[in-house]
Amino acid sequence: MSKTSKISRRSFVATTAAGTAALALPGTVLSQAKDSLVMGWPVDPPTWDPVVRTNPGIQSIYKMIFDQPMTQAPDLKVIPAVVKAWKLADDGKRLDLELRDDVVWHDGKKLTTADLKFTYLERKQKGEKLDIATVWRHLTDVQIDSDTKCSFILAAPMPTAVQWMAFLANFIVPKHHVEAIGAEKFGEQPIGTGPYKLVSYERNSRMVFEAFDKYWGPKPSIKKVTVLIMKDVSARVAAIQSGQADWVPEIPIRDVARFAGMKGFKAEAQPITRIMLLQIRSDQGFADKNVRLAAHHAIDKASLSRALFAGKAVPLSAITVPGAPSYDASFKFAYDPNLAKQLLAKSGFSTQKPINIGMATTNGFFPGDYDMARAIAQMWKLVGIEAKVEVIEQPKYFELNRANKLPEATLYSWDNATADPEMFAGYLLHPKLPFSAWKDMGVGERIMKLFDTVAYDQRIAGYKDVEKFAVNEGAAMPLLQAVMTRAYKENLKIVEYANGWSLPHTWSWS
Amino acid sequence: MSGGIFGVIARRIIVAFPIVVLASILVFVVLRLIPADPVAMSVPPNATRDEVEAMRRALGLHLPIHEQYWIWLSKILTGTLGNSITFAQPVHRLIGQSLPATIELVVLAAFFATIIGLAGGLLMHRLQGTAGEQAADLGSTLIMSVPEFLWAIFFILLFGVALQWFPFSGRLDPGISVPRETGFLLIDCLIAARPGVFLNALEHMLLPALALAFGTAPLLMRVLRSSLMEVAQEDYVTMARLRGLSERQILVRHAFKNAFLPTLTLMGVQFSFLFGGTLLVEVIYGYPGIGNMMVEAVRNADLPIIQGVALVYAVAVLVINLGVDVLVLLLNPKLRVAR
Repeated sequence: MSKTSKISRRSFVATTAAGTAALALPGTVLSQAKDSLVMGWPVDPPTWDPVVRTNPGIQSIYKMIFDQPMTQAPDLKVIPAVVKAWKLADDGKRLDLELRDDVVWHDGKKLTTADLKFTYLERKQKGEKLDIATVWRHLTDVQIDSDTKCSFILAAPMPTAVQWMAFLANFIVPKHHVEAIGAEKFGEQPIGTGPYKLVSYERNSRMVFEAFDKYWGPKPSIKKVTVLIMKDVSARVAAIQSGQADWVPEIPIRDVARFAGMKGFKAEAQPITRIMLLQIRSDQGFADKNVRLAAHHAIDKASLSRALFAGKAVPLSAITVPGAPSYDASFKFAYDPNLAKQLLAKSGFSTQKPINIGMATTNGFFPGDYDMARAIAQMWKLVGIEAKVEVIEQPKYFELNRANKLPEATLYSWDNATADPEMFAGYLLHPKLPFSAWKDMGVGERIMKLFDTVAYDQRIAGYKDVEKFAVNEGAAMPLLQAVMTRAYKENLKIVEYANGWSLPHTWSWS
Repeated sequence: MSGGIFGVIARRIIVAFPIVVLASILVFVVLRLIPADPVAMSVPPNATRDEVEAMRRALGLHLPIHEQYWIWLSKILTGTLGNSITFAQPVHRLIGQSLPATIELVVLAAFFATIIGLAGGLLMHRLQGTAGEQAADLGSTLIMSVPEFLWAIFFILLFGVALQWFPFSGRLDPGISVPRETGFLLIDCLIAARPGVFLNALEHMLLPALALAFGTAPLLMRVLRSSLMEVAQEDYVTMARLRGLSERQILVRHAFKNAFLPTLTLMGVQFSFLFGGTLLVEVIYGYPGIGNMMVEAVRNADLPIIQGVALVYAVAVLVINLGVDVLVLLLNPKLRVAR
């Protein structure tokens, strides 16, 4: 932005003694060096110990410092990372792993199988409260054959062991460093094997990373990354527009079109592996299958996408997304309000004699949530379903779900970077897991059986079937595939990941 | 005199203890009654219901409220505020990391509010009966009618984006840092003898502090203006005029000192509100203070942090009001004689 025709702040203060000193300041962020990057980010890591919490919002940040045993390619395929080869036994109770032998920690020491054993087993055995321990609850032993070969021994089948190694909280931590300084200090002073080292951090403010010159993978083109914690969406938009940031995520959909049309910027709304759906109860107002199916047929998902996401959010018919292993493009659940009315009429309901149900929604937890709930309530009203919309906070959602007190329908958003169906339909429809509102065993038994099915092709085929079955039973009402929005400077080349990962070590300035 | 002041301080401290205890009980009970499950928010997606329940029991959330309170109070008496559920770190340490940033911001905001409020009040008194007074009145009404967080966003758009005069995120520009000695960035800059960084830190504080100040300054302006109008009717002012003193001399030697006292009392009340005002302003500016931390804690139902920060707010209000009471006592001889 040219300042020649405007009153410049710098020229204004230059007349004072303070201004003289201010002129000695380093250049502003407007003149960003080509090997550095300033990113806005909406979420602060709760801790720098990456195995403590499963938080999808900070995966990309953790991946700057730490490596996972395996990782995902931009097209979601699980690929080698520091583990270069693996084999899951046919019974799902043994996972053989072979590490690369050229991986070093940021302090120069080598990564070995001892670090894997420490991360996955020893910390759990010490009684540390870690989410990774909960994920790997069936892990009983890590048998070490050499510095690069080991085997995970499980008490029960874990069909998604490989997928989990590229998923939440599955990062390898340094045994020697954590034991030397303690887990609590490690949460403040992390070292990893990742492409960047953390050089400074101020909670709720910023993090500064520098490229690790001994990284085992391709060396980052961008040597210094500053991540500014910007929880407020208007601040993120202002930051990219003013040049104080080079890249920001999660901007309003209307700003995507605005920035895309502005010189010097690019902006996109990219569908990712996150689903917006209605979680359904199997009882109360939705005990009747006709009512459930009618409610689903009455929702015009394409209109919701056009109205709230500029048409970028893909309508879904099953609890999975395009590109996922169990996705079946031929399966469509039709928007058919006439069919909805017929189904309701079979159960004695109509627009004159509507059925009353409850619907819970968050407001601001994910983009468009409250507006979508109100729109769906209006669509239901047109066919004979009166929905009372109640706004709840996310903590209250968990409490209500735990107490089995959710209303008939709850609008929710579910992230799954792996796109594996167990993490989608499996967790959302398993009657014994805390995230499922659906308790009926008709669908539940099929899901539970798949949790023990190790053979990959058989498991995926099973989920393909159960996903359709669940929808046809009215047990699931998937709505839209969520989009991730971002705006950035046009000369920044980024790599787009289908799960929404934002990894600066794969980016460069042109 | 010193006995009077020390007496005030002693009485205030004695009264402060039960106030803080009552406030802590209120916050503790209300938080436990709200239907929110902080544990379920902090578990992996494949956690079983039994595992979630086990974690709740490990955190003591299954105990009766009075037992949970007693455990928490016992921890406070041993110098801790418990552990954050979200961060898995001691709450007192998290507060210690963030509180200096908020205190700095509040002090600067109070400074701005005082300057703007006093200058505005004096100006309105000077322009009394003119169109200028009405314009100033309109301006103060406008400032008062817009909430602080909207001023915060407006300043970003005007000074950050349109004019690009000031930064609006964090405490320092990227690429600039200073060793942390006290946590008070301005002091740390002086200790490190980095005047350039000091100015950069002030630049980053300017907009959020101004947004906060806008919530307080108009009230100070109006109260000072009203007090000056009242004092102008007093006999000693009339006598001063009869003695031939100019209006300026009357204002400086007599009127302002007396008119300032009600404003000072109001300042105490308003400045303690500044702490609460930091919640949204810190989030908007990405400012790493306890307000930002509190908003995150509320979002995650992190009860230990909410309780800890609420306690800090209660103590801050009491300390500020104590300070103001002492100042009033120092400035008003009549109160000292009466004691």
